[in-house]
Amino acid sequence: MSVADTYERLFHAALRIRLVEERIIALYPSDKIQSPVHLSIGQEAVAVGACDALAARDLVFGTYRGHAFYLAKGGNMRAMFAELYGKATGCGGGKAGSMHLAAPEVGFMGASAVVASTIPHAVGSALAARHRKLDQVALAVFGDGATEQGVYHESLNFAALHRLPVVLLCENNGLAVHSPREARQAFGIAEHARGYGINVAVCEDGYDFMAVRAVLADAVSKVRTGEGPVLVECKTERYMEHVGVGEDYAAGYRSAEVAAEWKRRDPLCCEADLVARWTAEIAAEIDDAVAFAEASPWPSSDALLADVA
Amino acid sequence: MGVAHKLNDDLGAVCTYRDALHRSMHDAMTRDPNVVILGQGVDDHKGTFGSTLGLAEEFGAGRVMDTPLAEEGMTGIAVGAALNGLYPIQTHIRVDFALLAMNQIVNLAAKYRYMFGGRFEVPMLVRMIIGRSWGQGAQHSQSLQSMFAHVPGLLVLAPASADAILQTYPWIIEHHRGPVISLEHRLLYDVNFRVGAEAAATGDTPLGARVVRRGGAATVVATSIMVLEALRAADHLAQHAGIEIEVIDLNCVSHPDTRVIMESVERTGRLLVADTSWKAYGVCAEICRIVCERMPMALTAPVVTLGMAPAPCPTAKVLEDEFYPNLRRLTQELATLVLGREGRDVPLPDDASMADVYKRFKGPF
Ligand SMILES: Cc1ncc(C[n+]2csc(CCOP(=O)(O)OP(=O)(O)O)c2C)c(N)n1
Ligand SMILES: [Mg+2]
Repeated sequence: MSVADTYERLFHAALRIRLVEERIIALYPSDKIQSPVHLSIGQEAVAVGACDALAARDLVFGTYRGHAFYLAKGGNMRAMFAELYGKATGCGGGKAGSMHLAAPEVGFMGASAVVASTIPHAVGSALAARHRKLDQVALAVFGDGATEQGVYHESLNFAALHRLPVVLLCENNGLAVHSPREARQAFGIAEHARGYGINVAVCEDGYDFMAVRAVLADAVSKVRTGEGPVLVECKTERYMEHVGVGEDYAAGYRSAEVAAEWKRRDPLCCEADLVARWTAEIAAEIDDAVAFAEASPWPSSDALLADVA
Repeated sequence: MGVAHKLNDDLGAVCTYRDALHRSMHDAMTRDPNVVILGQGVDDHKGTFGSTLGLAEEFGAGRVMDTPLAEEGMTGIAVGAALNGLYPIQTHIRVDFALLAMNQIVNLAAKYRYMFGGRFEVPMLVRMIIGRSWGQGAQHSQSLQSMFAHVPGLLVLAPASADAILQTYPWIIEHHRGPVISLEHRLLYDVNFRVGAEAAATGDTPLGARVVRRGGAATVVATSIMVLEALRAADHLAQHAGIEIEVIDLNCVSHPDTRVIMESVERTGRLLVADTSWKAYGVCAEICRIVCERMPMALTAPVVTLGMAPAPCPTAKVLEDEFYPNLRRLTQELATLVLGREGRDVPLPDDASMADVYKRFKGPF
């Protein structure tokens, strides 16, 4: 496949995610989506580039900021909207909401709303994959804030110690809620991981899905050939507020100029003709998914106590 | 959205739960220079849902510190600071996140005094917020008061009103020399309360249970936001069935005020416990134990308990509505408890009269 084809495939995938989230913004005032939403707008290229570098059999463990990775890994859009609507046909049957999307059928192993809590799951899953000789890579995606948690350090240590086939992908948007990284971290994420003897790759251009894909493809191939875990730090920028559907540059904790600079380089903001080429087609797919969610039934009462134990 | 109830009618001042929290934080900082606040986002423009807003500017970044995302470590750091003369107030925007700190809370803070033969004190307050509604779901909604209250060495509060905060927080910060866990309710933050001391606890400390409504037909022991639901149910039953219910705000979960509870149950003979959490091994079970061990014969009917369904919290509104006990169910249960079968004929409050706070809360957080 040519570079141009790859570019277009990734652009389409990233645009699809952005348009989905823009639809969420548009729908939100109707109160049909009664769920805290953590949007990935600005960060789509990380999900798209990373998932494109993985094989279908590889597993991704995500976070509450999970729409992008759910879709990029191949999660069903109808099931996603139905879940946001709290419908029985949602990917979690109405028990997940936005924060706990999952699509195990395509290797998206669920998103947790407790920061850093799925990182060890990726490590454990890599342990299982090696034990079962599955030729399968696990990828944990997490934010920069997650690297402050004890469980992150514990997971890195174990993964490095046993040279497990896991990719640790940090989406570094420089913020945890409203706190800048400098106010929270005395360490560098990459340097710290190197301290465990973990291979590290840094992608400065997290808006560029081709760059992300290249870094991840290299990381995945190292991991797959048994070189042990790789940590990839992708610099990225979240355009919207931490949770919710608004922008909050006026709040003063972050720089609108920095965001504007990212937008100037973000293909989804710049390449009007590609956006124009696919918007109608993607909008139709989204219309269908929303109509599916609208038409779907609510969960029945017996769902309340189903699957508890 | 006034949550005025009868006892408070002639009192003037109105204060939200949030304002009460803010005032108690502010006053503690002013009174004692060794009080510090440690928590994620305590100094940002949202200020812990308004409860710490402006305090960093007023008291300095050295006393109101944003922290890394490191719940266990930060709790241990607070314990260390408490051992050496500070009074740390730690915040968790959800109770669920405090679970990461369980080791420090349960194995260290709760044990320090006893395990060293009384050589140490760990005075500190850990504030944590119970989430509810708008799809908070399994990991942003837990009400874990009984997990904490199970452990000797912890004092556990579940303030149900602005008064409860204004009376208990200053007292524990000044006088209690051990770790305190307080579970605040997110949906109470916006609620207006009339404030005044008329429903104060009656014991030696403000930690006791608070009789927030007098009545002879049945006793409701409630926690946190369930106190508001109980007051609404009681008002409805008084109006529509002439039944007067006594409502007790448990207030302190770890050291329940047995005197107030028993005195009421002996008088009414009927008990309903309404907790924000699961019933098994929780406040519901504990209040029943208290009555059963002391005077089961005071009861003229089986105890009724209301709590969350025995499942993690679902996100879909239709399921969430069944997950939580609501005003209608509480009213129905009370009517049946008092009137037996005839209780089924008592008109129930309609949807519109149900906790308006739940309907208004649009999150997202
Ligand atoms: C253990 C825990 N502590 C606190 C929170 C509250 N919280 C939710 S998201 C978040 C920030 C996380 O930042 P980061 O890891 O950088 O991810 P981002 O949101 O930037 O994608 C915090 C503190 C939480 N969910 N879990
Ligand atoms: Mg971040």
